[in-house]
Amino acid sequence: MKGEFILDRNHLSYWLRQMRKSRELIGPLMDGGKDIVFKSVDKIHELVLDCPASLPSPKEFLFPQYESMLRFTPLHLPLTKGGQGGVSLSEKAIEDLSDKTKRVIFGVRSCDISALSLMDKFYIEGHKDPYYARRRENTLFISIVCNNPDPTCFCIGLGTGPYLEKGFDIQMTDLGDRYFVQIGSHEGAKTVKAMSFLFRRPQKTDYEDQYEVFLSSKARFHKRINLEGIRQMILEEKVKDDFWQWVAGRCFECGGCVYDCPLCTCFTVTDRTYSEGIERVRLWDTCMFKGFTRMAGGVLPNEKMVKRTKRWYYHKLIYYPESLGGFGCVGCGRCTITCPGKIDMASIAARLKGLVLNEEEE
Amino acid sequence: MNKILTVCPYCGCGCGLYLHVENGQIVGVSPSRSHPVNMGSLCVKGWNAHEFIAHPDRLKYPLIRKNRRGSPENRRFSGVSWDEALNLVAAILDEIKKKHGPDSIGILSSAKCTNEENYLMMKFARAVLGTNNIDHCARLCHSSTVGGLAAAFGSGAMTNSISEIADAKVLFVIGSNTTEQHPMIGMHMLEAVDRGATLIVADPRRTKIAEFAHIHLRQKSGTDVALLMGIMNAIVNEGLVDVDFVRRRTENFDTFEETLRRYSPDIVEGITGVKAGDIRRVARIYAMEKRSMLFYAMGITQHITGVDNVRACANLVMLTGHIGLPMSGLNPLRGQNNVQGACDMGGLPNVYSGYQTVTDPGARKKFEMAWRRRLPEKPGLTLMEMMDRAYEGKLKAMYIMGENPLISDPDLTHVREALERLEFLVVQDIFPNETSEYADVILPASSYAEKDGTFTNTERRVQLLGKAIEPVGESRPDWEIISDLSSRMGYTMNYRGTYEIMEEIALLTPSYGGILHHRLQEGFGLQWPCHDINHSGTQYLHRKKFARGLGTFITVDFVPPDEPPDDEYPFLLTTGRVYFRYHTGTMCGRTAVLEREEPESFVEINPDDAERLGIRNRSMVKVSSRRGAIELKAYVTNRTPLGIVFIPFHFRDAAANILTNPATDPSAKIPEYKVCAVKVEPLVRPQKVKRVPSVDLEALRIT
Amino acid sequence: MKGNLKNNKKNGNIYIPLNGRIEEIIQLTSDVRLFKAKTEIPIDYKPGQFFMISVWGSGEIPISVTSLPEKNGMPELCIRKTGVVTTAIHSLQTGQFVGLRGPYGNGFPMDISKGRDVVIVAGGIGIAPLRPLIQQFIKKPNETGKVTLLYGSRTPDEIIFRDEVEDWKKSGITVVLTVDKGNDNWNGNIGLVTGFWPEVRTNFKNAVAYICGPEVMIKAAMRDLFFLGMPDDRIITTLESHMKCGVGKCGHCYAGPKYICTDGPVFSYKEIKEQSILK
Ligand SMILES: Cc1cc2nc3c(=O)[nH]c(=O)nc-3n(C[C@H](O)[C@H](O)[C@H](O)COP(=O)(O)OP(=O)(O)OC[C@H]3O[C@@H](n4cnc5c(N)ncnc54)[C@H](O)[C@@H]3O)c2cc1C
Ligand code: SF4
Ligand code: SF4
Ligand code: SF4
Ligand code: FES
Repeated sequence: MKGEFILDRNHLSYWLRQMRKSRELIGPLMDGGKDIVFKSVDKIHELVLDCPASLPSPKEFLFPQYESMLRFTPLHLPLTKGGQGGVSLSEKAIEDLSDKTKRVIFGVRSCDISALSLMDKFYIEGHKDPYYARRRENTLFISIVCNNPDPTCFCIGLGTGPYLEKGFDIQMTDLGDRYFVQIGSHEGAKTVKAMSFLFRRPQKTDYEDQYEVFLSSKARFHKRINLEGIRQMILEEKVKDDFWQWVAGRCFECGGCVYDCPLCTCFTVTDRTYSEGIERVRLWDTCMFKGFTRMAGGVLPNEKMVKRTKRWYYHKLIYYPESLGGFGCVGCGRCTITCPGKIDMASIAARLKGLVLNEEEE
Repeated sequence: MNKILTVCPYCGCGCGLYLHVENGQIVGVSPSRSHPVNMGSLCVKGWNAHEFIAHPDRLKYPLIRKNRRGSPENRRFSGVSWDEALNLVAAILDEIKKKHGPDSIGILSSAKCTNEENYLMMKFARAVLGTNNIDHCARLCHSSTVGGLAAAFGSGAMTNSISEIADAKVLFVIGSNTTEQHPMIGMHMLEAVDRGATLIVADPRRTKIAEFAHIHLRQKSGTDVALLMGIMNAIVNEGLVDVDFVRRRTENFDTFEETLRRYSPDIVEGITGVKAGDIRRVARIYAMEKRSMLFYAMGITQHITGVDNVRACANLVMLTGHIGLPMSGLNPLRGQNNVQGACDMGGLPNVYSGYQTVTDPGARKKFEMAWRRRLPEKPGLTLMEMMDRAYEGKLKAMYIMGENPLISDPDLTHVREALERLEFLVVQDIFPNETSEYADVILPASSYAEKDGTFTNTERRVQLLGKAIEPVGESRPDWEIISDLSSRMGYTMNYRGTYEIMEEIALLTPSYGGILHHRLQEGFGLQWPCHDINHSGTQYLHRKKFARGLGTFITVDFVPPDEPPDDEYPFLLTTGRVYFRYHTGTMCGRTAVLEREEPESFVEINPDDAERLGIRNRSMVKVSSRRGAIELKAYVTNRTPLGIVFIPFHFRDAAANILTNPATDPSAKIPEYKVCAVKVEPLVRPQKVKRVPSVDLEALRIT
Repeated sequence: MKGNLKNNKKNGNIYIPLNGRIEEIIQLTSDVRLFKAKTEIPIDYKPGQFFMISVWGSGEIPISVTSLPEKNGMPELCIRKTGVVTTAIHSLQTGQFVGLRGPYGNGFPMDISKGRDVVIVAGGIGIAPLRPLIQQFIKKPNETGKVTLLYGSRTPDEIIFRDEVEDWKKSGITVVLTVDKGNDNWNGNIGLVTGFWPEVRTNFKNAVAYICGPEVMIKAAMRDLFFLGMPDDRIITTLESHMKCGVGKCGHCYAGPKYICTDGPVFSYKEIKEQSILK
């Protein structure tokens, strides 16, 4: 389903307000004049659209940091911690807690939308992850063509932004007094159709203006990074272990790069015994921690930090393309913002480039 | 999904973070991008600060037990209503006070609670109970700072701001494992290094921050005074003293200088093991650059010479005039999220809020008038003294809010005995802990996510908490509990909210004079001193003049540690923290990821020592001191130098504080956590696996 | 009749475990027990696959099947007590339940052993996933050549399935037992399994090997066998790792580009080298 429309700026809030009647509306809001955060929108006019990147990425709405999965309610006997006593079970004792809220996430950036297609592949293909899948079905994304990229952004070199050709539900380009609205999915089309009287077909000038926004947006990038080049360097073993050692030495083991990244997927599972029942919960986890691969008896296969840092880069640059068909990075720049050690994707890529250039000069 | 800006509940960095709330449940955390401290980053504890809030172990209703020494039936805790619990506490405290006098009761307030709560707690102790017996865990980490710097400068806090660090030229870090214990300050330091600053680290252990250092001095534990004196001696001898500063802004230099003469770098080399050349080099680097910042933490304070260590640091900055300017100052890094605030609020036996001493009649008068009660004149007991008195049976009751002395205090066996001998113990906390096992009444408090109020971080930044969810179970914010209890004891505390408490604080505390909740809502808080409503806070201290007028050189002399190693106990034990753990683990022990990373205690030992003793990496060893013994895993590493072993103090099993020495600094009464003598023995002799002669594979291959 | 376990088709949630009623518990050594669990629907599985076994309130862990599938749907699980969840499982009695998800993983390739000599190398609890293989070879003796089991334990008391080993011998399997440390009653071999290649009288070039045990042992055995002429795609091992989901989502079991839970846990030495799985 494809389609292109024009929405008058004045009609945006009406449209969103109508949408909010059947879905939770999430959008970028300025919190007390301090930070941009994505949260439930109370006052629609307070939405901020030319905003810097939010932390963390919108993956939190599909794969939340903390998610209750199952609840197990024993039918008899009180629970003891760490055991279930002599409980007799039936299937009804296990309840699926997956979230069924319908949401529309407004104002998402192109890079994050690009990340979704890989996330879908990862979570839905093969064994289908029901929690992700259900949230995904229930969530509509309305993305905005970035006209104000952060200095940390580098989607432009990866083709994952600032605007997209496909993969979005609805993509909007801000043309000043009106929005250029593109539809990229069935759900997106349904949403526009439901309010079709708000939209009109674009004219030639609309296309021209849209193109101009694309151009000017592209011109504002500070960074252009070619990850393919970096990938080749790694594959050709030009990146030596002492480089990774240096990187690892600067890692604070905060996990921020993983938590913030729209394409990191790891989680851990833990059981919580409440008096009403036992909840099985999953939480974001990161391969940056040595305990992530801890084995029985306390064996730590990845005790050395360098193994873990290296793995993060290998996973994103080498294994992701092999298994999912795209880099594990869409250039959103969040790891640059969040990494206290300044060993994020962009910095490392820049540094590797620098190293090679130096070597070639020698 | 809603997101609420609040302050991290873990360390003194005071990072700004958002709590994500959905359906009344906290489902995540994210960093604030524009916060001046963390700027979009968080450490692993911050990133996981949401998980423990709804943990099933949370205390949800008040618990009491009839008799903790009685039959198992009587010993069991049973849930009761708030009315019943508080009436009981009020009645018994009243009775004990009447029978044994107010000073038979001791209060521990908490570096984890808000300023408002600490203020109320000290008001409760002083006005309601009538005792100055109030203290908190700052005694165990930074009381030497509070005392030492108050005497030298008139104010014991970080003089610079965290955001200045990145622009400094020289960073001298002594006794602080900054990247692990104050990660976000470590981040600013690393940034400074990237921008070309010189980083000097003095620490016996090869900590993470030491790996970034240009110069790493590995002085013997407990010889910091000598090291600093050596550096100052070199500064004087090389003519690098800021003479003008010393003359105009300080006093008492001459007496100090006499002692200083004895500490030539060569002599100091003999004491500390640091090469005289390195001492001179550090002296030059530190003194010659104006933008020099000095940092220290527990490695300086937790010694019997803790106050002297602090004084020595103060002398060093005065000698070079590196204070009172941006990017130039003396910076104690405070551990707990609100340890600064708890001290500021007077959770100490000798001062009211704002360090106004109880012995000063003027200050006392002011508080008496505001609180409409006569206040005790004598300073009260410190934490360790309370334990001693309890042990002797002279202290009858204790009320402990948000602290767990049964892991964090030195010489645990003694503390356990002491608590057992109390007639009445009230513990107020969010989780049951080791201490609450000895309680008669447990009061469930709300966590940082369920209340508002303020925390003061290590750079004196007073920040507002955001209430994200309703209190879990029947728990109540600490300030509500205190004011309710106080009303039941006949002293009405009638506050509509924490903002009213803050108003009272501002009224009575000059340095908080302009700090009011509505002002904190904009931006990211205010840094004290902030004298009035128009004052915009203070970025760095002691500009133009010291808080006390002139800075004083206080003469210090090297005193060896109380318990040096000997033949029987040949190792020096030093204790500290590990990155994934925090304090006694009540919060992070209930966070899946953090718990998994460091599930058990360990002792770090140098490979050469290990080899000599026949200790293999990860094998079990027994570590014993004159006070007790623990069994734990050995971790063989170069981080720890020869002759020294390191044990983190977080763990309940194999608690390091069974070993530590309760000897205290004579004036600050801070215990000597960092040095005591121990011996280490392998528990299992490495067994030799008998191997058959290795097979000649080549021979087999031919067949 | 044998249903493949895609449990709870109704709502398609792969994380919901089936209930497995414990019908029998056999104490094998001081810290190893064999559990026979009965599920509502009989489950089909292959040697080398594993289940995610859970005890509510303690957690979920991967455990290999240690028996061949049977009509009554009672997979056997041989579990060593090492930590939180295994301790919780050990505290269960017959008639109580464990949660069961699976089977997951690829299982052992069986066709490559057709007509060849087989060397099975086990260390400690590593015998668990290999037992169904042995049972299979005994059941169909004509499909393979000579089968040799090299099995190392720490002490004689820690030899798991000791009685069964005698039966295996009677059924024509050559068994070489060895221990790291003997005791008074032990007059057998002492030493690491990799010291006993000479006892395996087999033409390694033509044989196939199945290995499971501690990682150091696996590495050493694979290297030795390769050196002895066995082609690396016929040296088969099953790997252990931290696992939370078993279905390729949680990320804990990563090994190079592979997830051990879905791409493994069974790998050939060839794959391991090419994909740098064990490092
Ligand atoms: C494919 C596979 C098959 C296995 N088969 C068997 C078997 O047949 N018999 C047997 O006794 N053991 C087997 N194990 C090992 C068994 O899973 C671990 O001993 C067990 O997970 C330890 O859990 P615990 O909670 O008792 O230990 P703890 O040390 O308390 O572990 C805590 C948590 O860490 C994780 N964890 C720790 N070690 C492991 C590990 N090795 N693998 C996965 N997760 C881990 C678990 O999530 C566990 O909940 C197998 C492992 C794998 C990967
Ligand atoms: S690796 Fe960094 S820049 Fe790339 S998508 Fe992840 S967070 Fe964004
Ligand atoms: S964000 Fe940076 S410091 Fe933190 S874990 Fe990632 S790489 Fe390490
Ligand atoms: S550095 Fe301290 S305040 Fe900041 S997130 Fe970590 S624990 Fe919290
Ligand atoms: S166990 Fe979860 S990905 Fe393999």
